[in-house]
Amino acid sequence: MKQADLIDHFDLNAISGRDGGFTDILFQMREKFGFDHVAYAGVNPIKGTTHGHMTYDDAWADHYVKKEYYRIDPTLTEARRSIAPVDWGRLEHTRNFKTVFRDAHDFNISNTGLTIPVHGPYGDIGGLSLTSNLPAADFHKLRQETISDLQSMAVYFHDLIIRSDPLSRILNQPNLSARETEILQWIAAGKSQQDIGDILSISHRTVEVHLRSARTKLAALTTPQAIGRAISLGLVYPE
Amino acid sequence: MILVIDASNKHKFTSYMNDMFRLRARVFGERMGWDVTIQDGMERDKFDDLNPAYAVGLDDQGQVVSCVRALQTTGPHMLADVFSTILNGEPPLRSPTLWESTRFCVDTKRLRGKDGMTVSFATCELMIASLEAAKNAGITDIVTVIDPLMDRILKRSDNAPYGYVGKQTDMGKVPALAALLDCTDERINRLRNFAGIHHDVFISEDEITAAAHFQPANAPEKPRIDLHSYCNEQIASAENETEKAAALALQQALAHRFQSARAIDA
Repeated sequence: MKQADLIDHFDLNAISGRDGGFTDILFQMREKFGFDHVAYAGVNPIKGTTHGHMTYDDAWADHYVKKEYYRIDPTLTEARRSIAPVDWGRLEHTRNFKTVFRDAHDFNISNTGLTIPVHGPYGDIGGLSLTSNLPAADFHKLRQETISDLQSMAVYFHDLIIRSDPLSRILNQPNLSARETEILQWIAAGKSQQDIGDILSISHRTVEVHLRSARTKLAALTTPQAIGRAISLGLVYPE
Repeated sequence: MILVIDASNKHKFTSYMNDMFRLRARVFGERMGWDVTIQDGMERDKFDDLNPAYAVGLDDQGQVVSCVRALQTTGPHMLADVFSTILNGEPPLRSPTLWESTRFCVDTKRLRGKDGMTVSFATCELMIASLEAAKNAGITDIVTVIDPLMDRILKRSDNAPYGYVGKQTDMGKVPALAALLDCTDERINRLRNFAGIHHDVFISEDEITAAAHFQPANAPEKPRIDLHSYCNEQIASAENETEKAAALALQQALAHRFQSARAIDA
């Protein structure tokens, strides 16, 4: 499917060990999707930790952390309460908004951007923020073209962060349905999605939805990665 | 016209939210007999506390005539919890590009009783809005928990589900099932052609605020004070039983005015 095109080109092998490779993934996202900066902030209530990763220069990152803006920044605190992506233009210009964006402006950070909120099953929440210096119309176009992939990347990244904690990893064991396992098994056997739809007497789009769900549960970006992981967990048998 | 209410603007629209909860109480509590919690005439559940997104349909008088609620399937949602029997004990779908839609309903009583918007129009307008709002958020598919009647309505409006998950399950007077819809232009166009709806179905926050602003000039004289709060204050401050009875009688007598005197809570 077209949707996975951009994501398929993520070079997961190129990710270095630095900070678990998290920042490298954000730099790759910035590159692939064409935004100026990408940042992630999330909270793991099980471990009681907050996590932040960003592509911003050290000067802005240091200033941001020193001023504790992550406590008041509405692109985090407000935006991640929603379920839909929040365009920053929609945020109310509260005192907190002005405080953060006045400084951001001094560091040449654009106030054009959006935040994609993520809500996990155990009260874990996160937000992936992307900024751009493009004019409004171009930014709108970029948003339209990338939004679906960004949704996938936001959840993928959030799950990686949450699963970096061993306890949370145990709680987040992939809980595949019989249907999802069945479909992965057929793919491992070399069947196409169309074939599988015919075999199971369901539409190929239903196959696709189950497959996407299986990928998410296995914290995999691509189907081959999901199959590999399912085999290593003994959920699917290699053919 | 459809207003989208979520975490970022719900504080501006508490009166619409309350009307929506009242509509849900009538539909899911009374008509469908589902096991829902109704308090003060409003049906709310724990998922309403998770900042879902709502699409709320308004008629020309600004009355709530339809609503639906969306939740992410990556986090807590109804199929993972209260509707899990539909899935036969299987774990639910979890996907960043799949939203769950629940509590879809239309105020058939109000719409059948008068000229103007039909039930079919209100239903189609809300369905178009749900699909378009989801698509705009990068969502590719919706899993929707509906009753068999709604399933027939979807099929009749050239908007048939492309699949189902789990099985039809008894919920009250009416069974429930989980259907899959794609948020594609193809589906949206089919639905728009069926309904003959070609306008932008959304009303923006600004438009609604402006409409409220102009209302006093066109609308019949509205009470200058908030009658509802006034009555509650009178009841609360009553010093003896006689005063209290009088205050309650006043509230009773004015009850119909509360219905007509609605405004946006700024």
